Amino acid sequence: MKTFFGGIGTIFWLELRQRLRGVAWYVLLGVFFAILLVVTIVTSVVVYGFARADQANVQDAAAQLFSYVVYFVLLLGTLVAPAMSGNAINGDRDAGTLATTQVTLVTTWQLILGKLLAAWVTALGFLLVSSPFLAYSAIAGLVSPLIVLASLLVLAVELGIVAAIGVGFSGLIPRPLFSVVVTYLAVAALSLGTLIAFGLGGAASQTSVIEYGYDNVHVKTQTCTGLEEYPTSVPRFDHVWGVLVANPYVLLADAVPTSYDKNGNPTDLFGQLKYGERSSQLNPVDQATPAQECKTELAANSNNYDGGPSARDTIDSTTPGWAVGLAIQLVLAAAAVVGAWARTRTPARKLPKGSRVA
Amino acid sequence: MSPTQTPPADVASTGILVSGVARSFGDVHAVRDVSLEAKPGNVTALIGPNGSGKTTLMLMLASLLQPDRGTIRVGGADPVTDAASVRARLGWMPDILGSWNVLTVRAALETTGRLYRMSRPEAATRAAELIDLVGLEPLAARQTRVLSRGQKQKLSLARALVHDPDILLLDEPAAGLDPVARHDLQLLVRRLAGEGKTILVSSHVLAELDEMADTAVYLEAGVSASAERIAAAQSAKRAWRIRSFDSASLDNALLAAGFTAAELAYDRGDTTVLVDGEAGAAALLTKLVRSGVAISSFGPAVGDLEHTFLDLTKNTEGDAL
Repeated sequence: MKTFFGGIGTIFWLELRQRLRGVAWYVLLGVFFAILLVVTIVTSVVVYGFARADQANVQDAAAQLFSYVVYFVLLLGTLVAPAMSGNAINGDRDAGTLATTQVTLVTTWQLILGKLLAAWVTALGFLLVSSPFLAYSAIAGLVSPLIVLASLLVLAVELGIVAAIGVGFSGLIPRPLFSVVVTYLAVAALSLGTLIAFGLGGAASQTSVIEYGYDNVHVKTQTCTGLEEYPTSVPRFDHVWGVLVANPYVLLADAVPTSYDKNGNPTDLFGQLKYGERSSQLNPVDQATPAQECKTELAANSNNYDGGPSARDTIDSTTPGWAVGLAIQLVLAAAAVVGAWARTRTPARKLPKGSRVA
Repeated sequence: MSPTQTPPADVASTGILVSGVARSFGDVHAVRDVSLEAKPGNVTALIGPNGSGKTTLMLMLASLLQPDRGTIRVGGADPVTDAASVRARLGWMPDILGSWNVLTVRAALETTGRLYRMSRPEAATRAAELIDLVGLEPLAARQTRVLSRGQKQKLSLARALVHDPDILLLDEPAAGLDPVARHDLQLLVRRLAGEGKTILVSSHVLAELDEMADTAVYLEAGVSASAERIAAAQSAKRAWRIRSFDSASLDNALLAAGFTAAELAYDRGDTTVLVDGEAGAAALLTKLVRSGVAISSFGPAVGDLEHTFLDLTKNTEGDAL
């Protein structure tokens, strides 16, 4: 076991030294810092600008700011991470250093896991650079430490997932340029593709339901008469919500503990997104019953207004989407890494077309 | 080829044994049928034209590539089923010169040592020894990217020796080396063989292999030449180069010795003629000396390996036509 981790450690340090000696990484860190600086300033100005009209809103605005900064860090991090990992294995093959490493006593798993770890740690460097901005927005918005911790944890895990996908593709695809591009496409598929698939999937799997309405509502007797039925069809997002939670932004929003106002509504961007995602888990058919409709209409007509379950109730009663999303992402990343292992292990049986072992 | 004393040859446990090995890439049959034996204490030359399958064979020996057919034993272990044992005792110097660009020469060797599971101090000591051995001291603290081709070649050799392997595979080790470095390489290879290591060397520069190899394996279109074909090629007529400041009397003497004018060839002031084997050459020299021609140089026009190699290639081309 000690030897196993020793081998990973040697590869890890080797990779890290090669990355840190290069100028490219430092330049990227600098650019990253500059972009975040601009984004944080501009977002602050905009958010506080809107809030200034109403003093009570300033605190809420500050809370929102943290969500925005975290999302920008996630966006920039997932944009940079593929470049840090997408050529880990095939780049070495091109440079002629892969085979000479493989003839040593390092195993293929040690090689791949060492490279994965190095790619992850390099990507975490970007998280470190963004820490001043995260700290500023967290303190300004009096964001609870639990929220900050959860956000950081999810950011770190997401960078790791992208690093794993990148290392995986760098082992599966012979050309470094191509594997980096495919890693970017994978990030795009997770970030945008999941949203499109969720929308289209929900719309494609429509179910016909009957919506109910009443001609007369009697508040005194708490009854409804004159039932009307309207056959219609509704999109079944509850069938495809798993796709949505594989989205890193949704996953992040879902994983962060939500703070609510006195009406049970979430106070920050994460909470609002989380409420939307959790609502999509609900079966629209279950909700539409004559009795439910009567209750809703009675409530709407009476003074003691009860608008049904609050956002808080919905969130508390549904499945934690982040766990499902994370499981999906982990399966994808693991598949890529295992595929890379199968393609890279030696003695090689099959070689990808047009590539050499050495 | 210089005959050397053969140490107790234990090929099965410390040498290389290859029998009936084939490997193709798609429809390209890189290695069709290779059998060879490399003994400990010997330098075995692997000779063949470009694309004859030398590098593919080396990759299979180095446990990087699986053969489609046939068996390989490197130090008694099968590289396919027991790659770890093979790797522990085999040093491989590839024909391509990859190095970790931003690492220094010393760091690159230390890292290789670490990859062979040496402790940090062991790896550092070994790196220092090797830098000294291959003569890279002035560059030890420089990044490997600044090395010239020949210097990278030295680094590559040092890397192959990091774990002091008993078996060495050297793929084109002399390419890019200057004459001094080439000579040093020959001495080093001979010394390593003297220590009882099994060494398989491939090269295009046959004259150079002539000076360090004990035996040779000829590869052609992925097939190792049989012993009979090699014997036939070695006994074929061979060009000898004769030098005399009085080339007119040399020509006359050669004509008198039974050569026709058409059989005499001229190359850079020397005369070359085809002679049957060593005995024929000795007989000719005797005749020439007796006839009183002042001869300043008399020797084979090409080295042994080159002669055999060229003759084998020529015969195969003849077969193909």
